[in-house]
Amino acid sequence: MKQIAQSIRDRFLKLGIDVPVEDIESRLDELITKFKVPSNEAQRSVTNYFLKKYSIPKNEFYTRQAEPQLTKIMNISENGQWANLKAKVVQLWENTHESISQVGLLGDETGIIKFTEWKNAELPELEQGESYLFRSVVIGEYNGRFQVQLNKNTSIEKLDEVIEVGGGDFTPAARESELRNISDLSGGQWATVKGKVVQLWENSHESIEQAGLIGDPTGVIKFTNWASSELPDMEEGKNYMLKNVVVNEWGGKIQIQLNRSSSIEELDEDIKVGSSTSTYFGAMVDIQTGSGLIKRCPECKRALVKGACPEHGKVKGEYDLRIKAVLDSGTSTQDILINRELTEELAGLSLDTAIAMAADALDPGVVLDTIKHELVGRYYTVTGHKLDRYILVDSITPKTSLDKEMLDEMLSLNETFTKLEVQ
Amino acid sequence: MPGFFREAARRVFAQELKDSNLTSRDESDQYAPQYVLTPTGAKVNRIFLVGTLIEKEDIGTDSEYWRGRVSDPTGSFLVYAGQYQPEAAQFLAECELPAFVAVVGKTSTYTTDDGNVLTSIRPESIQQVDELTRNLWVLDTAKQTLERIRAIEAEEDQNSKLAKEHYSTDTGYYREIVKKALESLKERE
Repeated sequence: MKQIAQSIRDRFLKLGIDVPVEDIESRLDELITKFKVPSNEAQRSVTNYFLKKYSIPKNEFYTRQAEPQLTKIMNISENGQWANLKAKVVQLWENTHESISQVGLLGDETGIIKFTEWKNAELPELEQGESYLFRSVVIGEYNGRFQVQLNKNTSIEKLDEVIEVGGGDFTPAARESELRNISDLSGGQWATVKGKVVQLWENSHESIEQAGLIGDPTGVIKFTNWASSELPDMEEGKNYMLKNVVVNEWGGKIQIQLNRSSSIEELDEDIKVGSSTSTYFGAMVDIQTGSGLIKRCPECKRALVKGACPEHGKVKGEYDLRIKAVLDSGTSTQDILINRELTEELAGLSLDTAIAMAADALDPGVVLDTIKHELVGRYYTVTGHKLDRYILVDSITPKTSLDKEMLDEMLSLNETFTKLEVQ
Repeated sequence: MPGFFREAARRVFAQELKDSNLTSRDESDQYAPQYVLTPTGAKVNRIFLVGTLIEKEDIGTDSEYWRGRVSDPTGSFLVYAGQYQPEAAQFLAECELPAFVAVVGKTSTYTTDDGNVLTSIRPESIQQVDELTRNLWVLDTAKQTLERIRAIEAEEDQNSKLAKEHYSTDTGYYREIVKKALESLKERE
């Protein structure tokens, strides 16, 4: 509080008026301590009181104040505080809301802070990399972080000098996230990833440019490249360096997302995708609900539940065939997902036939029954990319012959043991 | 998924399952799975078997309750399916004998008045399969049984030790059973 009192006194001193510090302090104390007024409000109120007392026109006082009172970004410490800043626009972000005209980062030699310019502020457009003098901005707090807000009372003046930004240049190219192994990624971080695009998925939403799987020697992860990222398309089987991607968790699964500050660089090297193709051998012991003839949302391709998409509500679904099954080796189990093409092949059943069957029986369950009948209890070897607890099956082969060599080997091995025991 | 995992379906020959009488269950939790520990140390909750369905009978009084007998090279399994296993019950009702069938199910035990433990199977699924699948299962089960026998002889893990302690398992006897099963495959050539 002493500090505030002193700063008020200093401001009046500049006008040639010596206000007793005790007077200021006692007024501040009354407001802050007794009447629980926020300190910035108290400061303003006390200042106004003395302006009135000494008959100083408010306008004069504040315009005079505006020039010298520059705040450094590092010193921003209070929600609701007004400040004047000299800063460089280090980054402009995509606008997320119609009432916002510009949003991004400002920096000076002491630090970097987010700024938001409201549409109704009607200010000239800021350019990335340029430096400005911002008068009368308001400090706001959001999610525990301070940010600068430019509103109607704010004025902007472009500077010729270039403001140095502390902590280096924060343009996306320079601020590069650490290169990480895919298996080491965890949610809520930025990262740079080197990998091979192992699978591209059918685009499920107009706001998504591309989605699929990318893998490196340590694993495979889902990626989403948002249309708004304005990044080039990637091709299946090619290798890329994805810089500054966001890693997050959705539904318990880690995935990466490319946005406007990310970049894609094609690489010449061929990255070995480790453990991306898993192979599993076992008996098919279960085919789960949601298999067989299903309907998918035409928008997002998700399977419909009772004719409704969890995202888009009631929609006219598109038919598809798929199998969610469990393979079992006797000591472990593996969930697998089989797509339409392989399902058709395995069950000897085309999608059209399946639709006709279901229509005939007035029950899509008959398709599932047929698939179960064909598959459950048989031994299969599957290969595919491992994703979460599933293997997304690329190939599935039924075991078609008895391994005679293994049989003989086991018999002779068993024989030796039995003989040993007899001896 | 924490807190949930799917029980692997064990591979055990009929003779070995018949010899089993050690059950375990976490008593504090009524939903805890029940296990049968077999003489070679297989801790069985779910089981997968392929064999020949040789008998079936509706033993239900009010509603249908089917009992099927599935044989393998060493003996036979009893499979019971009622109203809570509608697909399996329907299969048993409709199928013709004999037939190669693949059964996935849970073991359940019943202790008779004179202390014998009878182990039967409550099927989750029964499907008709071909002879090849049956032979593959015999080979698979032989292999896994041999691995368990080896573990018992080496007293490798908890289950092996426990099984040996309880049954004083004669591994030679089970090797003999495996041999019999494997030889039955040879004869079919």
